[in-house]
Amino acid sequence: MSKSSKKKNKSSIVVKTLIYILLSILAVIYLLPLIWVIYVSLKDDKTLFVSPWSMPERLMIENYTFAWSAGKLGIATLNSAIVCVVTLLLCLVLGSMAAFAIGRMKWKLANATMTYFLTGMMIPVHCVLIPLFTRFSKMGLTNSRLGLILPYLTLSLPLTIFIMSGFFKGLPNELFESACIDGCSIYRIFTHIAFPLSKTGLFVTGLMTFVANWNELLLAMVFISDDTKKTLPVSLSKFVGPYNTNYSQMFAAIVIAIIPTIIVYCCFSNSIVDGLTQGAVKG
Amino acid sequence: MDKLLKDKKAIVIFVAPAFLLFTFILFIPICQSVYYSFCEYNALTKPVFIGVENYRQLFTTDRTMKMAIKNSLFFLVFSVVTQLIAGLILAALLTNIKKGRNFFKNVYYLPCVLSSAALGLLWMFVFTPKLGINQILAEFGIEGPLWLMDTKGFIILPMWVIAFVSLWQYVGQSMMLYMAQISGISTSLYEASYIDGCTKPQAFRYITLPLIRPMMATAMSLNAIGSLKFFDLIFNMTEGGPNHMTEVLATHLYQQGFKYFKYGYASAIGVVLLIICLLVTFFINKFVKVDNYEM
Repeated sequence: MSKSSKKKNKSSIVVKTLIYILLSILAVIYLLPLIWVIYVSLKDDKTLFVSPWSMPERLMIENYTFAWSAGKLGIATLNSAIVCVVTLLLCLVLGSMAAFAIGRMKWKLANATMTYFLTGMMIPVHCVLIPLFTRFSKMGLTNSRLGLILPYLTLSLPLTIFIMSGFFKGLPNELFESACIDGCSIYRIFTHIAFPLSKTGLFVTGLMTFVANWNELLLAMVFISDDTKKTLPVSLSKFVGPYNTNYSQMFAAIVIAIIPTIIVYCCFSNSIVDGLTQGAVKG
Repeated sequence: MDKLLKDKKAIVIFVAPAFLLFTFILFIPICQSVYYSFCEYNALTKPVFIGVENYRQLFTTDRTMKMAIKNSLFFLVFSVVTQLIAGLILAALLTNIKKGRNFFKNVYYLPCVLSSAALGLLWMFVFTPKLGINQILAEFGIEGPLWLMDTKGFIILPMWVIAFVSLWQYVGQSMMLYMAQISGISTSLYEASYIDGCTKPQAFRYITLPLIRPMMATAMSLNAIGSLKFFDLIFNMTEGGPNHMTEVLATHLYQQGFKYFKYGYASAIGVVLLIICLLVTFFINKFVKVDNYEM
């Protein structure tokens, strides 16, 4: 090995170590707040200020039970789950139906319809908040889960239609032709061929829809004032605030709210990250 | 085959549900919103047409609106610029290492999937006077600033804090977008350049950057729109306080509409927000020129 390449090798090792050090510091910045919140949630309130760095003497599990019941987090989690799952299923079915017609079938207005749906992606939800709220309260849809599902569904549709129509366009023509020769109706082609074959697309769009709706705060806060119908972000924001003084219980509530997502994320992180990125790339 | 695909009835059945939902829940309300913005309208009365009075008030007498526009624009510029730089740097570093790439990638992406309402509360506690950062600073005998309550300067300290928190939360998204694009670049391009005596930074400058330009436009407009829609973090970290100094357009709209029930006035803010969103998307797509290279 010549001298210069040895030197180059050495410097590249130095650069690599520097990169790793930098990345590790960043990773610490990312994980530290999360670890801190879990750590504080297990202490009791007095020691929090007296000796902030000591290990908790015993784990204060009752912080969690208190936050769970006083913050009404159980019913909130259930509400969030119902709203998000129903929205997800409806969105995938209705979205891919429209996407199939736009991407695969032949009609003059297909492109115009697509543009119409796509404008929805640029519109911030804040603009429709007031008309939607006044109309929904007249129809008795505020304070109901349906009243959340409808706008969530509508706001998730543009992206679903966009991604899924791309998927349907990519499916090979021969499949449809042979199905047609076998006397398959257009509805059966959709339900038995196109839909099952685009599992990747469904997974990607489903993931994006679910994450966005699970974390949505503004709409839920405006539409829902009944404690038994609130979703997780709303209940959490109401329970945790500057007027509540019991810090460790509030921290426990935050942990309860984010821990399910973290667990799911840890199990499937690679496919989740790739899925969400794929969706964003196409969106 | 063609007959089957031109089946009008089937097309209507497929498109109608989504189309109707979209029209009734998004499109008609937007038109209504524009109309309301020209009305005197609150929770108890019917809308009464008053012309541009709302807008006149918004731009002349409303001091919070000035603050909100300033802060929103600050956010817009800050997040577009920092996300672009930090996202690119992270993507470049991560594509250069092999071991632990997935680990780092997943860690940086994690906050993107967590609820920004919960993260906002978490960071609120990190920056409260007595806990978190100030506790650590106190160990070293430094008295930390009032992170979320300071009001000095043109862009006040709380805005910087919130801006950095949002960078912390969303930079993973930009990073992943750039990484996806970089991994699509053929390695033979790099090999050829190394044979010609190109160094790694040079390769980044002359090969990677031009080839990921289309993605830069996408990521920038995503960031821009995201930063204008920004609500959860601010609402949970400062609620627009102290004294409306950290208000942005979205929180101002929420306060006017659902605290003071001035529906007409809040609609006017919504229309301003919508116009800014459309303008920004338009300009980014126009000026970040998209040249498609053969890969």
